[in-house]
Amino acid sequence: MAATVNKEVLYGVYDDEEILLDAIKEAKRAHLEIWDVFSPFPVHGLDPLLGLSESRLHIAGFIYGAIGTLTAFLFMTWVFTRDWPMIFGGKPYWSVPSFIPITFELTVLFAAVGMVVSFYIVNGQGPGVNNAILDERITDDKFIIAFSVNNYSEEEKEKLSQFLSGTGASEVLTKEMPA
Amino acid sequence: MDNTFKFESKQKTFLLGGMALGLLCLAITFLTDDSLHTRFWTNYLHNVTFFTGISFMSMFILSAFLIAWAGWYTYFKRVWEAMTQFMIVGLVLMLPVVAGVWLGFHRLYHWADADSVAGDEILQWKSSFLNPTTFTIASVLIVAIWYFFANAFRKSSLAEDQGDGSYDQNKRQTVLASIFLPIAGFSSAAVIWQWIMSIDAHWYSTLFAWYCGASWFVSAIAITILLLIYLRGKGYYSDLNASHLHDLGKYLFAFSIFWTYLWFSQFMLIWYANVGEETVYFQTRRDEYPALFFLNLGINFLIPFFVLMRNDTKRKAGTMAFVAGIVILGHWIDYFLMIKPGALHTAHELMGHAHSATADAAHAGEHHSTILAGFHYPGLLELGTMLGFLSLFLYVFFNQLAKAPLIAKNDPYLEESLAHHIEPPYTDTF
Repeated sequence: MAATVNKEVLYGVYDDEEILLDAIKEAKRAHLEIWDVFSPFPVHGLDPLLGLSESRLHIAGFIYGAIGTLTAFLFMTWVFTRDWPMIFGGKPYWSVPSFIPITFELTVLFAAVGMVVSFYIVNGQGPGVNNAILDERITDDKFIIAFSVNNYSEEEKEKLSQFLSGTGASEVLTKEMPA
Repeated sequence: MDNTFKFESKQKTFLLGGMALGLLCLAITFLTDDSLHTRFWTNYLHNVTFFTGISFMSMFILSAFLIAWAGWYTYFKRVWEAMTQFMIVGLVLMLPVVAGVWLGFHRLYHWADADSVAGDEILQWKSSFLNPTTFTIASVLIVAIWYFFANAFRKSSLAEDQGDGSYDQNKRQTVLASIFLPIAGFSSAAVIWQWIMSIDAHWYSTLFAWYCGASWFVSAIAITILLLIYLRGKGYYSDLNASHLHDLGKYLFAFSIFWTYLWFSQFMLIWYANVGEETVYFQTRRDEYPALFFLNLGINFLIPFFVLMRNDTKRKAGTMAFVAGIVILGHWIDYFLMIKPGALHTAHELMGHAHSATADAAHAGEHHSTILAGFHYPGLLELGTMLGFLSLFLYVFFNQLAKAPLIAKNDPYLEESLAHHIEPPYTDTF
């Protein structure tokens, strides 16, 4: 097995998202390279600050939904006109209004399941995947700005710690993360 | 810009001109109409119920938002407060219809005709609810109660402006809203049954009140969007931003889908069960009004659904004004489809085989031969009448808006409303 170098992470823990946003702005002004930011909930305005582009998940959702619509509608059309035509309540074989509820349900189902699965695959998450967590408090009430400091000198790390404390971090910690 | 809306004389003249056009159209309709004046009275009822409902729904929206502790709308809530004030005008405009139910000078409602009821088991069975007394209670008493709440709500809101920033008036409004909501929920159903559903006196649907109410709700949101874009263009509400518009767009989008859901639920159950007494409602509309029947679904569902699906279209004044305008027209057509076929049928029944425009139209409907403006599709007189009522609605609205400050400066939610925006890349301007 090839030896992998663990990622050395230096991070500041913040108590409030407003302080967090200000700290990120400070870091950008100081030209610091942020590895990642962690938050228990979506923080308004965080994505553009970090330079993240808009998620394309909703476009995928629309496509999955459209596939669901077509699947349901075409399948029922095929079943009730070609494969196994049956008369229900004296209606014609191809009775569009009676297809609508199932078409609607499959649209929702395909869009929902498709988006969840896409989200898991893109983020490398899902059942059975064991992701290392930087700090368990990010799932509760703390916000974290993390720096990858493998190539930093002790002096640089010290400066970074001071920067984090100076911008309102309540704690500054380091942790080895599996790469 | 200052905090008070100025109702300029140019706007007044324009709206008075619109009202004159409406009156002229009503007069022409009345004079060229058949002996029962079916076209005149259906046009009258159509527009009165439509605009009174929009006014009622603005009170419903205000109450529901207050109860839900919503804060984003507070900046422009005076718009809705002014819209609620049209209810008293709607009440007065309903009085001729109420009088006609007693005196018989219009034949909108089959159940109001004593001779018809005498020979009709279904109408006899329904007469404990469909009779002039309950109609009067629904039209006068219930609408008066709505207006009472709307007025008390507005008074409290205006008193807040004079106050010292305490929460007393806000608590008072919360109490008013929480009493109003359950009353409004149940009573609006009764009013809709009386005013609109009972036109098809033999028919009923338990979903009808919701479906009709959803139409009012969508129209109220759409007219709010147009008014806010207009007012901002005039220089008022300069802090109104794209996020406020975005949220109104979400309401327009969501409730257009909600309306479609109710429309389809009502249609599918009746279509599937295929009981003659119920199916006749949709059969008439599909076979004799095919263009309007499908247009109704197209412009009230497909256009708002596909245009407003993306979030950036909800943040632009142009697309929002386009969809809002289309949707108002669409729901007005929806009301046309609710009211005209049943009234035409009633007129046909009451006139027997006499020769007149309506009787001919009714025959035509049954024999699919001629198509008549004002009965099978909205003619120019209908559009003119609609513009007249719209002008009246806007006149009352602007008049009431001018009477109070545009911004409720002591409302505890005002700060939240002003802070209602999101960070770049989205822009606040629209």
